[in-house]
Amino acid sequence: MTHPSFEAQLDAYLDGELAAADARELETHLAQCPECTRFRDARLELRAAIAAGVPALQAPAALRERVRAAVGQGASARARAPRRFDVRGWWRPLALAASLAVVALGSWRLALQRVAGETLADEVLASHVRSLMPGHLTDVLSTDQHTVKPWFNGKLDFSPAVYDFSGRGYPLLGGRLDYVAGRAVAALVYGRRQHLINVFLWPAARGPVPGPATRTEQGYHLLHWTAADYTYWVASDLGLTELQDFTQLLRQADSAATAPAAAPGLR
Amino acid sequence: MEASELERFEAVVLPHLDAAYTLARYLTRNAHDAEDIVQDACLRALKHFAGFRGEEGTSARAWLLAIVRNTVYSSRRRQRPEALATEFDEMQHSDAVADDHPETALLRSTAKEALGRALERLSPEFREVIVLRELQGLSYKEISDVARVPVGTVMSRLSRARTRLQQALGGEEER
Repeated sequence: MTHPSFEAQLDAYLDGELAAADARELETHLAQCPECTRFRDARLELRAAIAAGVPALQAPAALRERVRAAVGQGASARARAPRRFDVRGWWRPLALAASLAVVALGSWRLALQRVAGETLADEVLASHVRSLMPGHLTDVLSTDQHTVKPWFNGKLDFSPAVYDFSGRGYPLLGGRLDYVAGRAVAALVYGRRQHLINVFLWPAARGPVPGPATRTEQGYHLLHWTAADYTYWVASDLGLTELQDFTQLLRQADSAATAPAAAPGLR
Repeated sequence: MEASELERFEAVVLPHLDAAYTLARYLTRNAHDAEDIVQDACLRALKHFAGFRGEEGTSARAWLLAIVRNTVYSSRRRQRPEALATEFDEMQHSDAVADDHPETALLRSTAKEALGRALERLSPEFREVIVLRELQGLSYKEISDVARVPVGTVMSRLSRARTRLQQALGGEEER
């Protein structure tokens, strides 16, 4: 094959980076072009060979220690007035700026909600980051929704809906108990390539809130909405477009499950 | 820097140390150099951390990897200024072999070793897109942030790099 731009398109398609309309067009072409089909198969082979033969590496423990020490020294060398135990301090200017901005729009009520939202986002983000530390990701490690869902029985006062979107490229990886907003919540972990997605959910206190509202903190995206029954927070370092795609899947599955015709077992 | 800022740095940046090491290792092709690069890059990251608030679309991982990449390239420029005298050219270098490994060594290779070596022999611009995509699962947009090239360039570069790898492997099988 000697069509570099077409090859690049096919690669982008296999990488899930091609726009839906282009992808459909390409699939139609693939169905009738043996040459392109061979090209695709060779690429899939290469991908499998790389996955099997070229490992992602772990930083040696000694390096991790060296970096921690160097960072600690570098930080204290640059310290002006070190204050301890002020972990949350850096949020305050942000929260203040956010509330001032909203107040300028003329609504105190909104401002109060926004600040409450910041605190909750803060908690969700902290839980997400903590879950990425070794050994903290899942309490129940399973790609089977019928294993993960019953695991929560007796641990929560609700039964979270668990889906598997592996057919759409977001496999279920497991679940765990977490503590957010002053209560025990379900955290479901989904994957997308090497990215992890945490879905936090708990029964909604108030009615549905349209959304999702999106915010980006420290390089992580947080998406939040409240459906008929549950409040949802989704956290990941995945690109925003893909994360919104995932959120869309989740909301569709959810509204299908909560529709009157759906099996009550999924509620 | 305040203690809180340091804690934030450790929570946001250090989880991506494995990714940083992987990229550094594949770019330098040397474990010792990779460790020095990662340490250096983390100190740079710390220095610029105040400016990083996770702007829209920039993940902490992509941000750190961009710093690692810059650190690799600037240390290479210091050590071997002549190596960068010729600017990378997409078309020119796509068919060139970056390193001159003895051909006899290729005869004694398993498929896995052959792939590792083919990757090593890619020019760094091709190698980095393969590592960022295949090993670390970055999106095209994130790769474009790390490598500082447009998304379209990421797309064509990645495709050419894969074709180069396939050619290298195919060539070995025929021997």
